[in-house]
Amino acid sequence: MNTISIEDKLAVNKFDIDKDVHIRIDEDICQTCNHHACIYVCPANCYKLSDGRITFSYEGCLECGSCNVACDKGAIDWTLPRPGFGICYQYG
Amino acid sequence: MEQGFDAIVVGAGPAGCACAYKLAKAGLQALVIDRGKFAGAKNMWGGAFYGAELLELLPDFLEEAPFERYVTRQKISFLTVEDCLSIDFASPKFSQPAPHGFVILRSKFDRWFADKAQEAGAIVAPGLGADDLLWDGHRVTGIKAGNDELPASAVIACDGANSVMAQKAGLQTELSPEDMKQGVKEVIELPREVIEQRFNLSGREGMAWEFAGSCTQGLPGGGFIYTNQDSISIGIVAQLNALVKRKIQANDLLEGFKSHPEVARLIEGGKLVEYSGHLIPVSGINMMPELYRDGFLVAGDAAALVLGTGLILEGANFAVASGIAAAETVIKAKEKGDFSRESLSTYQKLLEESYVLKDLKTFKKAPHFLENPHIYNLYPELACDLARRIFIGDGQPRKTTWNTLRGSLKGKASLLQILPDLWWGKGAI
Amino acid sequence: MNIIVCVKQVLDPDIPPAKFKVDSASKQVVPPEGIPPVINPYDAQAVELALRLKEKQGGKITVLTVGSDGADKAVKYAISMGADDGFVLSDEVFEGSDSFSMAYILSKAVEKIGEYDLVLCGRQAADWDEGLVGSIIAESLGTSLVTLAEDAEVVDEGLKVKRVTLDGYQAFIVPTPAVVTVSNEVGQARLPSGLGIISAARRQIPVWKAADTGIDPSLVGSAAARRKLFALSVPARERKCEIIEGETPAEAATKLAERLREAGAI
Ligand SMILES: Cc1cc2nc3c(=O)[nH]c(=O)nc-3n(C[C@H](O)[C@H](O)[C@H](O)COP(=O)(O)OP(=O)(O)OC[C@H]3O[C@@H](n4cnc5c(N)ncnc54)[C@H](O)[C@@H]3O)c2cc1C
Repeated sequence: MNTISIEDKLAVNKFDIDKDVHIRIDEDICQTCNHHACIYVCPANCYKLSDGRITFSYEGCLECGSCNVACDKGAIDWTLPRPGFGICYQYG
Repeated sequence: MEQGFDAIVVGAGPAGCACAYKLAKAGLQALVIDRGKFAGAKNMWGGAFYGAELLELLPDFLEEAPFERYVTRQKISFLTVEDCLSIDFASPKFSQPAPHGFVILRSKFDRWFADKAQEAGAIVAPGLGADDLLWDGHRVTGIKAGNDELPASAVIACDGANSVMAQKAGLQTELSPEDMKQGVKEVIELPREVIEQRFNLSGREGMAWEFAGSCTQGLPGGGFIYTNQDSISIGIVAQLNALVKRKIQANDLLEGFKSHPEVARLIEGGKLVEYSGHLIPVSGINMMPELYRDGFLVAGDAAALVLGTGLILEGANFAVASGIAAAETVIKAKEKGDFSRESLSTYQKLLEESYVLKDLKTFKKAPHFLENPHIYNLYPELACDLARRIFIGDGQPRKTTWNTLRGSLKGKASLLQILPDLWWGKGAI
Repeated sequence: MNIIVCVKQVLDPDIPPAKFKVDSASKQVVPPEGIPPVINPYDAQAVELALRLKEKQGGKITVLTVGSDGADKAVKYAISMGADDGFVLSDEVFEGSDSFSMAYILSKAVEKIGEYDLVLCGRQAADWDEGLVGSIIAESLGTSLVTLAEDAEVVDEGLKVKRVTLDGYQAFIVPTPAVVTVSNEVGQARLPSGLGIISAARRQIPVWKAADTGIDPSLVGSAAARRKLFALSVPARERKCEIIEGETPAEAATKLAERLREAGAI
């Protein structure tokens, strides 16, 4: 089996995507962060580092909460998607 | 709501469903809510359920429950980049007198369990999430869900690893990455015959398989494979802070694990049908919050009631057992008409009498011990090296096994390094 | 104003396409494991329009669905949105019914309920996208009919309905009782409220069998179907990548346009 990218893996999942964004980051705080834990702990690649800036997209979020636990800078305003929205596991 | 519920159970995982089922059976007005579109929609795990609780609680379990297979083989493997040394335990005792372990996919199972709670008389309301608690002074008097306020004599937080409820109740503080592991998993579809042939199974027989060593590249954690009926679950569990320190994603570990020669052949030709991720609280009693306050109880992962001994990781049975204990406590409280902290302290006593807190106390030192990197690199290396020396001759005259072991150790570790691990491990796992 | 809304359960439309499976032999869709069916989104919008009318006009909203095990979930969803009441129409003899029989089954239930001013249906079901049942119900009840409504209001003469057209709308005034099919231009269906979800969860949805509404079994089910499915298969999807090059961007674009025209894409 060839390695599959996270994006291709997420494409087989069922999501009920909400128009509301449930996680927000404070990019100014991220600018000062020295470890960028979020990009390593997010299993869905929602956090990306490009040109020294952290960007976040909530699509594909598996709602595991790892980013919120790992971020010790208070840069993440973490909530869960509205009930009924977000990841919907078919197997689990 | 015209009048409040006796109990509102937040979360319809194993803890919440067991709790609501038990409450409803006793005739209490119980509401169980879940933020998933249906119960189970948000839940993933390894996984196998071990223990007799479900069989005892649900008389129809064996006939009706949508489990995948019985666990009839338990395998443990130590991996190096190339090698794999395994212990493969098969025993009729696994299913006698009754099956002891069940391989389960959560989405189907949790929905079935919630339906059982509903049949028992609980009000099951998926698509509803608790945002906050209602208070009267120190007493929790219900929950807030969206724009609605729902009063109840008791609220039972069964909302899993990221328990917002336990935090809002002031019982759990912020979670720390040292106390959490992350699990990522793929469900890979394969024809039933292929699964049975590759894993040496037939009928509803199933395998639970844990891996330690190169699959986590030396990070605290491990790999796992469970056989479902028409798919296999394969995943990695890794300590959250270790991922950050190593600057690696759990998915990279999973990809490496899947490409190990012994693993790749098991999933070859399979089709990925789901990719999932979840947190597990792993510090057991060391991170356990206070379990109750006035009008409020915490059960399951929300209370960090998970046992990890290195060889096993069990949480669902602890969730069910604690959910039942919470229900029994609330049933008594209702009889007395007293939901105060004092009255709910029965919960702690029930858990202390059961294996839940006994096991967590027995393995109190395990979480710390399991951070020892030797377990994930040195020992798998040593074990495989020893096997290599024993099984693959090099044309030289043979040595006694003891001397072979010494040969393996040479250059890798000294007894002085290993003895403390043994000493420490003796008390921890 | 008494409104009856007909709703149907369909496969969750958010299931990734790769997971869509059919059994060509039995000519049936294989429901994906682990994902329960949902209320047809257009039907939820019909419930939405009913609720808006009720908010202005008062009255009662009753929901009907034809289905088997678990069909009560569609009715409960409508109740959690705010509908008042509902029934599941379920009988073995209904199995294999075509749109005509479905409309007949629903019409008989509408007649049993008796007092109604308006029957609402979604414009079509998101599974087969046929959009027949609503019109046939109007025919069998002998009421007036407007399809593809984006709005409706009560006026002296009856009901004023805005009907979606390609680039605007038509306005009709029809006498009641009427059947109206509702289009997505009505707007987002409201999400159920917490109390709505709980009160729906508490309800037992009554089931009406064929005999309960006086249905003639010879007019329903696969034997009565006037139309039979000939074959069912999932189209093979092919992905190809071609790189169009050109000396200048303009040249590449021209070639791309030519290639697209050749392929029938534009
Ligand atoms: C990768 C992995 C492998 C595992 N393997 C095993 C195994 O093999 N065997 C085993 O025994 N255990 C295993 N576990 C642990 C096991 O999954 C958990 O211990 C168990 O699921 C805990 O049950 P629970 O009911 O406490 O919580 P959960 O199962 O997490 O359920 C919590 C529920 O609460 C809901 N919820 C959360 N917040 C809210 C809210 N605000 N409002 C409403 N609802 C809410 C969620 O949607 C969810 O349904 C594994 C865990 C992981 C992550």
